[in-house]
Amino acid sequence: MNYRSKRGITIYIALALIMLFFSLPLLWLLSLSIRTPAEILVRNLHVIPHSPTLQNFAQVLNNHQFLGYLWNGLKLAIMGAAGACVVAVPASYAFSRLQFRGKAQLLFLVLGFQMVSPLVMMVPLYRSMQAMGLTESHFGATLIYIAMYAPIATWTMKGSIDAVPRELDEAAMIDGCGRLQAFLRIILPVSLPGLASTFILTAMLGWSQFIVPFILLSQPDMLPISVGIFYFFGAYAGSAMQLVAAASVLSLLPIIVMVFFLQNFVVGGLTAGAVKE
Amino acid sequence: MKMALQRRHSGKDRKSPGAARSALRFNQGDHPFWWLCPVTIVLAVFYVYPVLEVLRTSFTDATLLDASYRYTLGSYRSILLDPALLQILEATFVFVAGSVIGQTTLGLLISLALQAGLKRRLFGVRAVRVTVLATWVVPGVASAITWQLLLSEADFGFFNAMLKFASLPPVPWLSAPWMAVWSATVANIWYGTALSVILLYAGLQTISPTLYEAAAVDGATAIQTFWHITLPGLRPTLLITVIIVSVLSLNTFEIVMPLTGGGPGRSTEVLALAAYNMVFYDFNLAQGSVLAVLMLLINLAVATTFWLLFRGSR
Amino acid sequence: MKFNRTLLLLVIFSIGCLQPTGSAWAQDLVAPDRIGRSDAPKSFTFRVLTAHSNNNAQPKFAAGMAELYEKYARNHPDWRVRIQLMSLQIPQEHARLLEQARNGTAPDCTSMDSFAVPLFIHQGLLKPIEQYFTKEEVEELFAFVRPIVSDTEGHIYAWWWTTDLRLLFRNTAHVPDPPDTWQRTKEAALAAKRTTPGLDGLLFNGGRNETTMVDFLPNFWAQGGKLVDEKGTPVFGKEPNRAYLLNAIAYYQDLIKSGAAPARVASITDYSDLTASAIAGSTAMMINGDWVIGQMQAAMTPDAFAKWEISMLPGPTAEQRSTASGGWTFVSFSKDPEKVKACMDLVREVYMGPAVEVLQLLPTRQSEFDSMPMFRSEIYQRIKQYLKKSQARPGFPIYTAISNRLQIAISSTLSGSHTAEAAVDEAMEQVAKVVPKP
Repeated sequence: MNYRSKRGITIYIALALIMLFFSLPLLWLLSLSIRTPAEILVRNLHVIPHSPTLQNFAQVLNNHQFLGYLWNGLKLAIMGAAGACVVAVPASYAFSRLQFRGKAQLLFLVLGFQMVSPLVMMVPLYRSMQAMGLTESHFGATLIYIAMYAPIATWTMKGSIDAVPRELDEAAMIDGCGRLQAFLRIILPVSLPGLASTFILTAMLGWSQFIVPFILLSQPDMLPISVGIFYFFGAYAGSAMQLVAAASVLSLLPIIVMVFFLQNFVVGGLTAGAVKE
Repeated sequence: MKMALQRRHSGKDRKSPGAARSALRFNQGDHPFWWLCPVTIVLAVFYVYPVLEVLRTSFTDATLLDASYRYTLGSYRSILLDPALLQILEATFVFVAGSVIGQTTLGLLISLALQAGLKRRLFGVRAVRVTVLATWVVPGVASAITWQLLLSEADFGFFNAMLKFASLPPVPWLSAPWMAVWSATVANIWYGTALSVILLYAGLQTISPTLYEAAAVDGATAIQTFWHITLPGLRPTLLITVIIVSVLSLNTFEIVMPLTGGGPGRSTEVLALAAYNMVFYDFNLAQGSVLAVLMLLINLAVATTFWLLFRGSR
Repeated sequence: MKFNRTLLLLVIFSIGCLQPTGSAWAQDLVAPDRIGRSDAPKSFTFRVLTAHSNNNAQPKFAAGMAELYEKYARNHPDWRVRIQLMSLQIPQEHARLLEQARNGTAPDCTSMDSFAVPLFIHQGLLKPIEQYFTKEEVEELFAFVRPIVSDTEGHIYAWWWTTDLRLLFRNTAHVPDPPDTWQRTKEAALAAKRTTPGLDGLLFNGGRNETTMVDFLPNFWAQGGKLVDEKGTPVFGKEPNRAYLLNAIAYYQDLIKSGAAPARVASITDYSDLTASAIAGSTAMMINGDWVIGQMQAAMTPDAFAKWEISMLPGPTAEQRSTASGGWTFVSFSKDPEKVKACMDLVREVYMGPAVEVLQLLPTRQSEFDSMPMFRSEIYQRIKQYLKKSQARPGFPIYTAISNRLQIAISSTLSGSHTAEAAVDEAMEQVAKVVPKP
């Protein structure tokens, strides 16, 4: 009884401190979002302003493009993540299970693509996409997302597949399956939690991606929130911070909804992924 | 127990009996070509040209102002002989090292706490996870401006106001060169830990619970369990995490730029921000490309170092 | 239960993917992404700063602009204007415009920050537009406008429709008379600090941002300093300009050393930081832009607001004064003269006057100050006088490189990591490397 509850309390304290560090700026953002322009930068410690208001949220929601920004951001993130996972999974299986010359070098080459700054690639990327006629479309943007996140997805999926013991492959292949079938029927389902977290990782990277949609998309109704948030600033930077804050708070909503729906995958469960001995 | 572990780490493909019957299928499946095809096609079509362009541009003197250019090593010389390069590398080192250590450590702590908390069905654990994930979902520029307000040395700066409340002297979070880079690093740690949590949490799930049960039966303390079971089991995941965190931290300037603009002076001008300024202010495409190449090389060096350090029994 | 949830999510997602957009606005003349009827025969693309359009985040401004757009739509029933938005990320937006202009995919009609115009003129990417404006209209523009928007032969490529300027704001309760020299400013700040402990004397932007440059350059220009010569070669590192630069930086340094300005100015990069301090009453003076007058009035009680006064920025002597102006222009990239004309019609009917009043910004022609009621007040008439003495940043593409390097120089000097001489010489050296080849 003593030992267990001491552990429990330690965990609680640790979680509370972590919560404090991470939630402080978020609470501040929340506080900014309920302030009138007059109170936006007040000299005091009051997190709750003197005259809180919900009008910022109303203004942001009345902006006809705001929900579109959120939707576009979600769409691009999810499609990009799905595509990256589909492309990465076979490659990570190969890197994990197959032996071939230059495997480590190839792994690093794949990651190397990830290491080139998208910022400097902006100009040639635009030119090549234009030549292929893929600008101004979500399809083109998604393809670039896939190219950008496939390397990370490959690395993380490889890690997940590495954790699955080879005995499972071999058992399946002894039973007469080809490698492909062993992969599809046995390995993939077992590494599903790893796939889920790869998917979530790449989706989150896609959500915050700014440069690619900025350079490829000009129509406001196609832009994701990472680009659209800048349209809430006033004519002089900082003069409409309360609206930016309100828009940021509202942009959390779809993600909280998603996490609620998918939390079982995120958690991974207590039994999934466990190796059956 | 130990035997099972050894078999798992043996890592060799073994030909199984009865293979002759499906030899043809085996051969095709064993060749990496088809497995690697999708990734190769996607990268080749969309990524190879821009990346090669960046490499090629670094060997020219191209600017955004001029359509014409010549091939020259002058851009490399300019960057490598620039006295400010040392300061930029210093700032980058502090920023990346701090971010890697901070994000990985915090990520690990959070994942462990989450796992332990969920197992005991403690109340409020889910809230922690949502909060940490929320830090990444909030648009980066909004986070950066919020941090700027928190760190501001004006009267409305929250941190200094708290210090004043506790009768402590104010800290020049953003106006002292040596302090500013640490402030930027802490903001980046806050911003990026969510990714480590996702990776490390998934990694924790791959450690068999039977190992923990055996340890509990043997009477191991929490620390012993952590050191002998959790950490080794996490080794591959930790490797991936630190590599990914270092790559992302090296390439990011989303938090630094709105926070300090690279100042005071150049004390927070990390490589990524220097490349940004080079391309968008000086319009110097070639030197920006040189900086991108530099970033690539440093990234590769860091990743390779981690790989060699962590490889262990691979 | 888990399965049903995921299925539900997938269903919602697929429905969302099939949503058509813009269907709600088909009947109206003005939509968030369109001006004019959606079935009008002719169209042009129009990229505008969000805050200057009917997409302004604040409803009253958005509604005002939508009204102006509707008037234009009624006058030009044949045209459909496709609206694109531009954000305040000026370097990225203009780099993107540059690339698109080279590729031929730039919008037909677009906002452009005034200090980017020379870059595009030099690249030969803009269409001349002087034929759409009368000589009188052009002559009424403030003096600093013409050199930026014209080329050497006098063709005009951009219509600069709104501007701003930097002013010295003071709280008359602490500083009753306007200081007109650097020396008097420092003294006033110190005097204010003596009578009211804890008060900041003078606040200004000193961190790494373009805002710092715009606030700083008047000190340099007031002495007659030039950043570049007539051909656009950087000369700020050569005498006598170098001495002027060092004087101006020494003035800033002196303010900090004497305590007139707090050390944290070396990290201030945002006007709203300064505005907030003024509103909170924690500073006696600040260097800020005209647009905060409205912000302060909205945020302060009438009594508190009445105590604040504006004056021209101080100079080394009372006669050597200057201030800096920026602002926004419209340009056209279209190769179709009809579209250029339609674009300029939009500029003339909406932006050359009416929009300035709706958005409460400053106009660029002297006559507008007298013709529009908002600007007839005493404050605005004074601003009109100041604008006559204002300067704009030099009309050469090299300016952004100079700005970047001088920001570094000023910020590192003020934070103590470099001496002013070393910093300025370093800046000159770095800029010399990026001078465009002949």
